[in-house]
Amino acid sequence: MDTLTNFINGTITLFGDPLGIFIFFGGVIGGMLFGAIPGVSMLTLAAILLPFTAHLSPEHGIMLFSVIYCTGVYGGAITAILFNIPGAPENAPTAFDGYPMTQKGQAGKAVGAAVTCSAIGGTVSAVIMMIATAPIASWAISAFGPPEIFALVFFGLAVASSVGARTFWKGWLSILLGLLIAVVGLDPVGGIERWDFGMPYLLAGIHFIPTILGFFAVSEVFVQVEKKAKGSYDAPKVSVDFPSLAELFAQKIAVIRSIVIGFFCGILPGIGATLAAFMGYNEAVRWSKDRKAFGTGKLEGVVSSETANNAATGAAMIPLLALGLPGGALTAMMVGVFQMHDMEPGPLVFLNSADLVWVVFSAMFFANLSILLIGFLETKTIINLLRIPFQFLAPLILLLATVGAYAVRGLPIDIVVMFIAGIVGFFLRRSGYSVAGIVLGLILGKIGEQTFAQAMQMLHFEWSGFFSRPIAITLIIAGMLTLLNSIYSAFFKKST
Amino acid sequence: MRNLRLAHVIEAGAWLSLALLLFISSFDFSQEIEIYKFGASAWPRAILLLIAVAAVGQLFGQWLRGEGQGSEMLDKASDDGAALAAQLSDHNNPKWLAWTFLLMTIPFVYMNLPGMTGEWLSLDKSGLHQAKLLTAAVLITIFLLAIRGNHIGGMLTLPLLFGAFIQDFGFYFTAPFFILGTMYLMGERHWKNMIMVGALIMGILLALFVSLLYVGLPTGNISPFYEFGTTVVNLLQ
Amino acid sequence: MKTTMKYIASGMLAGLMTLVSNTSFAACATDSLPASVAGPDGFPERALTMIVPYGPAGGSGQVAQAMAQAVTELTGVNINRDHKPGGSGTVGMTAYMALPSDGYSVLEHIDDASSAHALDSSKPNPASDLIPLVVSQITFSQIFIRTNEDRYTDWGSFVEWVKAQDGKATIANVSKEGSMERVTMKAISDATGISIQQISFDKGAPRYGALAGGQVDALFEQPGDVRKFLDAGTFKPILTILPEAPSAFPDVPALSDAGLDFEPLYRFRGFYVHKDAPADRVEWLQWAFQKAYCEQSYQDYNKSKFMHLIDSFRDTDGARELITATIDQYREVYREMGLEVK
Repeated sequence: MDTLTNFINGTITLFGDPLGIFIFFGGVIGGMLFGAIPGVSMLTLAAILLPFTAHLSPEHGIMLFSVIYCTGVYGGAITAILFNIPGAPENAPTAFDGYPMTQKGQAGKAVGAAVTCSAIGGTVSAVIMMIATAPIASWAISAFGPPEIFALVFFGLAVASSVGARTFWKGWLSILLGLLIAVVGLDPVGGIERWDFGMPYLLAGIHFIPTILGFFAVSEVFVQVEKKAKGSYDAPKVSVDFPSLAELFAQKIAVIRSIVIGFFCGILPGIGATLAAFMGYNEAVRWSKDRKAFGTGKLEGVVSSETANNAATGAAMIPLLALGLPGGALTAMMVGVFQMHDMEPGPLVFLNSADLVWVVFSAMFFANLSILLIGFLETKTIINLLRIPFQFLAPLILLLATVGAYAVRGLPIDIVVMFIAGIVGFFLRRSGYSVAGIVLGLILGKIGEQTFAQAMQMLHFEWSGFFSRPIAITLIIAGMLTLLNSIYSAFFKKST
Repeated sequence: MRNLRLAHVIEAGAWLSLALLLFISSFDFSQEIEIYKFGASAWPRAILLLIAVAAVGQLFGQWLRGEGQGSEMLDKASDDGAALAAQLSDHNNPKWLAWTFLLMTIPFVYMNLPGMTGEWLSLDKSGLHQAKLLTAAVLITIFLLAIRGNHIGGMLTLPLLFGAFIQDFGFYFTAPFFILGTMYLMGERHWKNMIMVGALIMGILLALFVSLLYVGLPTGNISPFYEFGTTVVNLLQ
Repeated sequence: MKTTMKYIASGMLAGLMTLVSNTSFAACATDSLPASVAGPDGFPERALTMIVPYGPAGGSGQVAQAMAQAVTELTGVNINRDHKPGGSGTVGMTAYMALPSDGYSVLEHIDDASSAHALDSSKPNPASDLIPLVVSQITFSQIFIRTNEDRYTDWGSFVEWVKAQDGKATIANVSKEGSMERVTMKAISDATGISIQQISFDKGAPRYGALAGGQVDALFEQPGDVRKFLDAGTFKPILTILPEAPSAFPDVPALSDAGLDFEPLYRFRGFYVHKDAPADRVEWLQWAFQKAYCEQSYQDYNKSKFMHLIDSFRDTDGARELITATIDQYREVYREMGLEVK
């Protein structure tokens, strides 16, 4: 049992000294806390900790990021449920049903389900990751080139367009707006300046982290301000009645389905947990007999999305470690930490740094387990945040978001971008457009354009080249069918 | 006109004019790239085309069956009370919108005007800094006068103004004013509470980010705010 | 005495090994500088800030970290690195130019700043609008293929194969218009008469993955950045873009061996300060950064990145010379390429 030996060795490295244990639990609590404070996310914490890890040993630095990664993906669910502020885009679908549950006074139930399902999804995924990384790596490296990744992005957008907006058209317009924003800055081929409007800082492009903070955290503050001004602000009802075991067991099919979906979405480079959560949620709706109940506070919605996004964490490590391809912003930062400690993710990582890889694996396994324990304890504290009067909470949220937006790239323009996104989000949310769709378009837009350009260069600008790549053409056809289906129902299906 | 309302036409018009304007400006970067025959402008133009198609499609859908053609599942999820709140506070009326948008131009004036005059008068760094100080003083006065009676508009603009000032005046100097301003605009009037909570928030932020994690928040570029910012950082780190 | 002997011995060895190898192998470039220098009026009283216009993980982020560490080891002064990535380095440059010129902030930048100025003279010239403190990394590029590639095995067979593909062969490259990579590829294509499709990858890891996974036929890169792949035997270089082969790659044809006649462009990374910073502070910074180049930790780092194969050190004057020559060279190539030079 090679795998088991490696796992035990990794665990010993992890908990072998007091500092290691301290950093582990610091990471668990920090990840959850930052995931859970409205306006900041694990990304904020990661961006802040990035330079700090340089002072740690490779084992500790790499472990810290692995831990934050797992617990932060869960932590973002808490704010999604309590405040309708997803900590990160992968928690956005959690808010669809989680926030209505809070409004119905079932916050504790939603959070409890999120805790349990995150832990289950993450742990299972971590186990599969340990077994599967090496063999999958050797397959994907030659099977997944730019045409396949582009096809996957297209498929992902086609699926996501039906989520979150009031109509099919509004869903697509939201995503297209996101794609449009992603154009700002240098083009991915020639580095040509596009839509910088004479502002040199815009050449860096519009980053999705400030945009997320603006759309979700800042616009939420504005909406609350408006409600408060008219006296229609009511603090979310707080409860700590966690779901019963029977209630959780009833979700077993949703959990298993979401683990499978989450794992396969997570494994694909550049897509990761966000699409996993959207697809986990989407499939839950499609499989359900009671579709209407989704979006009104259905436990299965929270379960599906939270299981899927945590199941994606382990899977996302496979392309990250095996190909050096990060699936999202945080995994991109992890590459930075790995490299800082001389561990170069890529096909050779098992050759050069096998011991560090196993530190990552062990850390992620135990971090997911510890969500269960600490999640229940910590959540009760966080729920108390809701009792703070909003006029005092608001400046804190806005300033934390400011720090978070700035810490990513050190650019003051990101603060301005965030507040503009907040205002835009404030007006868009009244109109049935989907801010989550815009964010998804923004994140996938850059990858989409780049891989499209690479694919066209590789295929010598012949569209028929896609047909010679079975995986790519399958994904494109699947995306087309999804689209046609949506268009058909937008026009011809009787609205119920 | 079946189910069409004026708002639908305006919505479609807004999308189409956005697409048109950006299409025109895409000629600024439509140059060829030697190794990529689609160039830098093909992708954005394809998006603009799709936006135009979707906007027309939406208009057609609205003409066909009005606003009720929702995708069945997430109609409710996208409505989180924001629309209702807007209705209640009468913030869909054109006059309020117009004033608020005017108010929101103030930060952009600050971001552009001093730089433009600086270039025009070919000011050096310190001359530019004086131009910025003067502009800031004037704009703050205008802002304070304009938000009387429009606190929501003020609340929308204040963060932008904060964002615009932060690079030149630094986080450490501007943040306390921002905290107090936010609380005031949200209706808090007990000045003791405001100062205590403000100090608490600043304390948490500085202890966590500056002392513990060494985040380099903007110290500002303009004297004496730059010196103020670096002194604070020195004391804390 | 003992150390001197060692330097001389290894210097001789280095001299024997290759023509282009240099003094950094032997006595370090700034050994003659004093071991410690007091700053003017207690400068620096607080930590310095280093603006890095790239992310922490890439070549620039790593060299910034290594140099900051070396300066801190040497002087005890802390350096906070402030990464402002984006716009191919223009964003970090803009942010740095807006900072007060009090000598407390320094800038890391690469040859992209020189080529950007060559293309558009409204962008700062690193040789005259800034004061170079030190250039601490100079390196060259190579063309790599997979070691287990059987369609071609060396430069000669690669060129034959590419010609037979009639423009359909591919090479992964950084692709910004006017960049060192694009200009060099153009020179190679012109000199050999091959036509090869460049595939644009702006980030390192996907670029290397593309070669490892067989998505592309070859890779254009600097050897230090793919050292792991070289050590593991996954990639192998088939052309060194230097006039003569360096000691580490004696069997890989260099330009002269391959019969290619053009002046190679180099990738270089260095550190700068505002030109109107107080002169005495600049002097101290020059000493600190140049002396830190010879700190053991920095030398070890440079070696791990193959930065010892050609002379990687330039002091202020040397850096100005290098930058000015580079700008001139780029301008000439741009005019030939028909790019608009502003």
